Amino acid sequence: MKVSQSAKERTKIKILESAVELMTIKGYKNASLREIAKEAGVSNPTIYNYFPSKEKILYFYIEQKLIETSQILQNIEDFNTYTLREQLQTLIETQLEFYLEDREFVTQIMQMAFTPSMGTMELIYEAKEKFMEMVSEMLEIAIEAEEISEPPFKEYMPQLFWDYNIAVVAYWIKDDSEMFENTTQFIDNSMGVVEALLHSNILQKANDLGLFMFKTHMLSGLQKFSTKQSGFSKIKRKLGEVLNAK
Amino acid sequence: MQNKIPTSKRARGAVVGKAIFKIGVAQSKGVVKRAFMSKKRKEESQKETHEEIAKVIIESLGTLKGISVKIAQQVALGLPFLPKEYLDEISKSFNSIPPINRALIRKIIKQELGAYPQEVYESFDTEAFGAASLGQVHLATLLSEKFAVKVQYPGIAKSIDSDMAVLKFALTRFAKGGNVDHLIEEVQARLHEEVDYEIEADNTEYFYKNLKHDLIVIPEIERQYSTTKVLTSSFLEGRSFKEFLDSNPSQEERNHYAQLIFDSFFIGLYHIQMIHADPNPGNFIFMENKKLGVIDFGCVKKLDDDFLTSFSKLHVSLMDKLPDEEITKQYAELRMIDDDTPKKMLEFYQEVIKPLDRIYIEIFNEDFYDFKENSDFSERGFNIIMEVQKKSITAVHNMNEEYIFVDRTLLGYYAMFEKMEACIDTRFAQRLVRY
Ligand SMILES: Nc1ncnc2c1ncn2[C@@H]1O[C@H](COP(=O)(O)OP(=O)(O)O)[C@@H](O)[C@H]1O
Repeated sequence: MKVSQSAKERTKIKILESAVELMTIKGYKNASLREIAKEAGVSNPTIYNYFPSKEKILYFYIEQKLIETSQILQNIEDFNTYTLREQLQTLIETQLEFYLEDREFVTQIMQMAFTPSMGTMELIYEAKEKFMEMVSEMLEIAIEAEEISEPPFKEYMPQLFWDYNIAVVAYWIKDDSEMFENTTQFIDNSMGVVEALLHSNILQKANDLGLFMFKTHMLSGLQKFSTKQSGFSKIKRKLGEVLNAK
Repeated sequence: MQNKIPTSKRARGAVVGKAIFKIGVAQSKGVVKRAFMSKKRKEESQKETHEEIAKVIIESLGTLKGISVKIAQQVALGLPFLPKEYLDEISKSFNSIPPINRALIRKIIKQELGAYPQEVYESFDTEAFGAASLGQVHLATLLSEKFAVKVQYPGIAKSIDSDMAVLKFALTRFAKGGNVDHLIEEVQARLHEEVDYEIEADNTEYFYKNLKHDLIVIPEIERQYSTTKVLTSSFLEGRSFKEFLDSNPSQEERNHYAQLIFDSFFIGLYHIQMIHADPNPGNFIFMENKKLGVIDFGCVKKLDDDFLTSFSKLHVSLMDKLPDEEITKQYAELRMIDDDTPKKMLEFYQEVIKPLDRIYIEIFNEDFYDFKENSDFSERGFNIIMEVQKKSITAVHNMNEEYIFVDRTLLGYYAMFEKMEACIDTRFAQRLVRY
């Protein structure tokens, strides 16, 4: 059973690779499942079995890259000595490294994601589970190790960080600097902000400039990405409570 | 947010613009105030203005951080007429590069060398052991040998030009119509060279192959593990300058190391015609068995035969105390005194240059020079430079650049010897100067 499972996995990945290649050349819209099947050397019924629609391929792509990312992180010997910020930053950077190989393909996904009618954003959000799981775990460990104290909206943090992740990818797609140095700096700098937020008690006390920044910039910026998904309205309500409490 | 280095064009443009605007304000305030002041107050106010301007420049360089440290070094070496206030402010910006955390180190090494640090090297210490002006230095091993891996923070190279735009604006104002363009260009070109670790690798290899001295150790570069942003060189184990001094070394040890530093400079000058032009104590490692490690060849200066010939001739003339008229002629040949009537040229020499060369040549007057007895040497030197600067600004941009480099660097070394309270034997150097 296990053997056939992994054979199945392999076929699925083969289809994915063919799809990425074809979509890179022809564009997402112009590549049909039929052609993808042909390219991957599988029958039409087979491909529909794996991917009932093209969107599912995108979903699987994002998920697959996250699985590979997670494997890389697991192989970092001293990963558990990394600070929370370093762990999160490594997650973002490693994922981006995979995207780099398929930059044109990822560009297409992102373009669709930001075209309101396409509904791809929801799709991308469906693929986030793995990501949120990883972030959650890092957070839990950091809290347990008393690296940070428990943030008031802990359950929303992974979601927020996913939003941030999408923002980073969007930035990277637009980045035309040499070796994407601007993205590297953008990540390093913004992770500094994330770190400061997680470490300070801004989130608890909610009474200084940091929160103002957080409130005005991060939330308004992220709202764009969040569409109807997520517990954003809830977060805002919570934030509102905190603010009013002061 | 204090680690932010804005490099997107708009952000940097905005910061540069802000700085230029602020400089304008600081200057005009000074001018307006000065119009109503007595002469004495005027001088003070001018100083205040300089300080204010320097602060504004540094503030903006501070936001642009990236390169300010190197600028400071370069400005100090290349623009010796800059008021002390500027240099002080600039040097305050030292060590302003944000730390490179482990996530970033992984990325940079992967990008530059094709694999993660632990895969590239046998072992790689993710905690940096040294701070470099543009990044940090990590310990790694290859085939059980220790190596120092210097890693540059991303995005430095592209921040040079906008940082220099700020500086150019400020300096142009300071130079009061004097032309600083070529100096700025020179500094800018040097900065571009300095951020390129491949050039540093070339220089290091040049010294490694050519500077032959039993007690001087120069790191070996691992070319396959070096790029423009990563430099892997053999690790030189030993004490830092501070650790050396703190260990309360004997007079003999002090003299020994100072002598090595002094001699290595003159060997560089005369035997291999390239000097290590960064007289920073951090660049020397006090190793076992009386050996001296010399690192950091990011800032070097090549010197040609013509320069060496006139430099030697001039120094010999100075040592032999030839008449001022003769010396003036030689400075004119070095393009440090503009063509004019002989009388004017002599005046310029006696007023501007002579006080400076007096101090440089003092070292060579005897076979030995004791910095313990002359512990005010660099202070005197600095004050004289300040005096000269007050007298003449327009003339300095004519200064022979190599000449300035050599003397500036020597002055830096002398400041170290002073701290070491060492006595140096100048006979070897004198022989070289006299060929
Ligand atoms: N080969 C080396 N061996 C031992 N220490 C080194 C070596 N290279 C660099 N370092 C350490 O790292 C510090 C910074 O390196 P350096 O090359 O001087 O940087 P910068 O780019 O600022 O000139 C040094 O002061 C020294 O402590």
